[in-house]
Amino acid sequence: MLKHIKGILNSYSEIFFIQSQWVGILLFLITVINPYVALGGIISVISAYLFAKLINIKAEFLKAGFYTYNPLLTGLAVGYLFKLTPLTFLFMVLTGILTFLATLVLSNIFSYYFRLPILSIPFVIVSSLAYLAASQYSNLFITGLYPNTLLNIDLSLPYWIEGYFKSLGAIFFMPNVISGIIIALIILIASRIVFMLSVAGYYAGTLLVALMVGSYTQSFSDINHFNFILIAISVGGIFLIPSLKSYLIAIVSVCISTILLDAVLVFWSTYGIPAFTLPFNVISLSIVYTLGINRYPYLTYYFRDTPEETLDLYLSNIQRYKGSYITLSLPFTGKWTVYQGFNGKWTHQGNWKYAYDFVITDDSGSSYKNTGDLLEDYYCFRKPVLSPVRGRIVKVINTLQDMPIGQVDKTNNWGNLVVIKDDRGFFVEISHLAENSIKLNEGDWVEKGSFIGLCGNSGYSPQPHIHIQVQELETVAAYTIPFSFTSYIENNIYHANNLPYEGAVVEPHLADNYYENITSFILDNEYNFEVYKKNKLIANLDLIIKMAIDGTFYFDSGKGKLYFGKHENTFYFYSVEGNDDYLNIIFQSMPRFPVSHKDNLTWNDNVPFGIVAKGFRKNLVQLISSFNHNITKVVVNSKFESKRKITSIISSKLLNINLQSSVEFDDKDGFKNIKIGDTELRRIYDEKN
Amino acid sequence: MKKKYERPVILKVQTGMMNKFGSSPYYTRKVRKDIDGVSINELTEKFGSPLFVFSETELRQRYRNLYNAFSTRYPNVTFGWSYKTNYLPAICSVLHQEGAIAEVVSEMEYDKARTLGIPGEDIIYNGPHKSLSALEKAVEAGSMVNIDHFDELFDMEKVSDKLGKQIKVGMRLNMDTGIHPQWSRFGLNLESGQALDVVKRMASTGKLILNGLHCHIGTYILEPNAYAIEIEKMIKFTYEVEEKFGYKIEYLDIGGGFPSKSKLKGTYQSPELLIPSIDEYAEKITTALYHNLKPGDFPKLYLETGRGIIDEAGYLITSIVSSKRLPDSRKAYIADGGINLLYTAFWYKYNIEIDRDVQGTNEPSIVYGPMCMNIDVIEEGTLLPPLEKGTKLILSPVGAYNVTQWMQFIEYRPNVVLISEDRQIDLIREAEDLSDISKREILPERLKLK
Repeated sequence: MLKHIKGILNSYSEIFFIQSQWVGILLFLITVINPYVALGGIISVISAYLFAKLINIKAEFLKAGFYTYNPLLTGLAVGYLFKLTPLTFLFMVLTGILTFLATLVLSNIFSYYFRLPILSIPFVIVSSLAYLAASQYSNLFITGLYPNTLLNIDLSLPYWIEGYFKSLGAIFFMPNVISGIIIALIILIASRIVFMLSVAGYYAGTLLVALMVGSYTQSFSDINHFNFILIAISVGGIFLIPSLKSYLIAIVSVCISTILLDAVLVFWSTYGIPAFTLPFNVISLSIVYTLGINRYPYLTYYFRDTPEETLDLYLSNIQRYKGSYITLSLPFTGKWTVYQGFNGKWTHQGNWKYAYDFVITDDSGSSYKNTGDLLEDYYCFRKPVLSPVRGRIVKVINTLQDMPIGQVDKTNNWGNLVVIKDDRGFFVEISHLAENSIKLNEGDWVEKGSFIGLCGNSGYSPQPHIHIQVQELETVAAYTIPFSFTSYIENNIYHANNLPYEGAVVEPHLADNYYENITSFILDNEYNFEVYKKNKLIANLDLIIKMAIDGTFYFDSGKGKLYFGKHENTFYFYSVEGNDDYLNIIFQSMPRFPVSHKDNLTWNDNVPFGIVAKGFRKNLVQLISSFNHNITKVVVNSKFESKRKITSIISSKLLNINLQSSVEFDDKDGFKNIKIGDTELRRIYDEKN
Repeated sequence: MKKKYERPVILKVQTGMMNKFGSSPYYTRKVRKDIDGVSINELTEKFGSPLFVFSETELRQRYRNLYNAFSTRYPNVTFGWSYKTNYLPAICSVLHQEGAIAEVVSEMEYDKARTLGIPGEDIIYNGPHKSLSALEKAVEAGSMVNIDHFDELFDMEKVSDKLGKQIKVGMRLNMDTGIHPQWSRFGLNLESGQALDVVKRMASTGKLILNGLHCHIGTYILEPNAYAIEIEKMIKFTYEVEEKFGYKIEYLDIGGGFPSKSKLKGTYQSPELLIPSIDEYAEKITTALYHNLKPGDFPKLYLETGRGIIDEAGYLITSIVSSKRLPDSRKAYIADGGINLLYTAFWYKYNIEIDRDVQGTNEPSIVYGPMCMNIDVIEEGTLLPPLEKGTKLILSPVGAYNVTQWMQFIEYRPNVVLISEDRQIDLIREAEDLSDISKREILPERLKLK
């Protein structure tokens, strides 16, 4: 039940694209000022819920508030028109159910065909239908209609300020100044970006209309201008990552929507219905769809509770996750040198630009000893080549001669090679292998690290080296596609997923059993900690492992969720949801670590700004960072202090933060001790263990 | 100008054809005026003679060459520094800095490694004699103990009882790898089923968990294929044990025994010709691993290379204290360092270099050490030009075993220095004096001379 109430409250705050229960409660309370509006909303939502139960829709869906947001709006709209009578009650129930149906149908169609959310389209359709139908229902009209003059108190504000507040209130069918002021305060506290956009959108649109019409008073008194507010917020702060560019696109969207709004008003008013949020829906969705098919890079994929948090996560993610989804491990062991990378100056050009060449060099940088005239002089000659992926061998060429230094085989450019099919949908080609060194046949299965053959000098190869590329097709020398390497060490820095530079000396880093085991974190395992501040016990922290619907695991503390995962030998904390300082501590003290120890190995990561910052400074910096994405950076430099201990320095120039943390691992499972500043989490063990 | 004096030499008359090897050995000289750019004179002036000199550059370079030969062929390789070949703290530290863990074969070596700051879990404890208390100490510190015989197995069970927990252990195997001699005195024999008996016992008592296998087929092994056979047999045994008893073998310790370029007495060819390159060993070993291991299974590979790393990084500078003519007309020299410092002189023929250009032809010579004992011979027969008293001989390679097996017999043991990569000379073991010897000696009061 509580969950459902939370869901309903969320649907109030979601009207401003914010996920917050207290914002929901406050907005709900505003609607209570006009009890008919509030009751209309509640009746509509509850009837949608009951209908959902009747047709056996799973509770999971309803919790999200996603399907109740539209019935709520429709209910508010009907409540705005009619006071509560048995007849209007029936009408509210029917419109609620109808909106729910429309939501299901449209959300399916939109997500399937357009990959778009439906926003409040069902609300627009059903409310319009309800208003149209109601005009036929004389009985309903006579008994239900009431004059809506609540709170029309004159605060003597300039008309151009009143207009903004009234429009804001109109979103909740409370088109009066008082409601508008309260709503403005609520969204200002919840999100500065949303507030800023609401102001900018409103004035941009309204001023443009005023210019066109030639009357400022007329323009500022049109409460339908709340559409500008919604468009600005949704485009500038929600569907796009907040940035100077997104703000510009938002303003442009608002300006073009004026044409639609005024056209719709002419058309709709003929039938006596308001435009509702139609312009907002049409413009916002058109913009998002257009940007989507053009693969606009700054579309939001991970929505958080507020635009600030979305931006924070986005920024830390682009700092944190480099590389690509096509991940290979290095096809060798030990230290090798990148001889040529992507777009290499010698042969990695055109269709074959996504490829890597590796050789072995000595301390002086030379790839050979003695004179380099013999193949045997080359350090990498006849060194094992190992499979970079798990997959099936689809092509083997094994019988070409290793060319003497100074000669190349121009007929068989690629020399002896294997092509491995990876089930993730791509092919890996490794070329120039030594004559008759491949011990595999077409059709064989290889695991990551399986022996493939020996490095050689067959084909068009100026010196022995390993050439590796990823292709979409299995044919030899097919068009290459980008990829990246996982879990390697360069200059004592661990890279989880990245592309080494030309000339870099890289070494693969394999997982070890100890770290593999202690980071298993099996579902429902519990980890109990005592929290000490300056060595005084201040709290207890009980964590339990849970799994989200999308399959991501998280630590649940009751107050928040800390998402984590392991990918290609790296353990990551992905993000924190909810508000739990102790989860933030765990996150920032080890945002990632290799699942394998090496003495003094170091690595770098970033954490979202909101994890380390608090209060007003956080709000201010988050707002500024939407204008300049480069200013917020919280860097975490970590290091293996010993086999079971990681130390990190968490620093941010802007925030003047420089924290030291240490994490000690348990012998068998998880963490034993996490320390950051003067706060310490100490694991306590069950008697049973 | 006055003609420079040349000492007389006696040469056997050579007649007949010119030899096919080109220049006559009677004129070739091996002269070394410096080690890593530091002159021999400077070294002896500062630190006296005899003097052991180690080259840090050579040491690190040899370690890296050897390590890279394996790490570029197999993903999970760690070297265990064989303490017994040279456990001077400075030498051990250089190798630990390079990434080697410690391989010890006695409680003394074990304590030495711990004193150096090596964590217990980074120590491999081998050898046929480990006391019960030493075993307990090693188990508590989490070291890798490789069981050598049945009695040690029983001792480990006692340790398990005492600590009240299961203990992970390794065991040493011995086997026929087609070479002679077969080192069957260490470890448990594979072919006779002795090794399997130990595993059965472990499984039935449940006190010990087998997690590693160790084998060391010998020293100065000239046949790379012997290692391939060793590995094939170890992996076969690994999978037999894993399947039958459910143990997981986490490491294979294949020992050491790679030869250095020192000339074994009685070999005809030069070591350069005789000794296979390290790449040949590495290729045989890793190919055997890939052929026998299941795909994706990469147990940790430990190598305990000692001689191969340290031997060629060590030199002994000795000075000629006298020369004499033997009745059989051979020239004999007496040097100030002999078998007291060079235990390995019994089976290796060193490369002898002189510190200056000397006039005159070579003649067959014999080099004695300073001991008042007939067996103290460094070199039984080589060709040397006539040498003055005070000439320094630089003997190499002498880095392995000598500074651990040297003896304090009638002389003091000399200084040992390490030349760093930037040519700084560090004293890493001070020459002894009488106090070192008398420190542990006790003269009962009643015997004191008035």
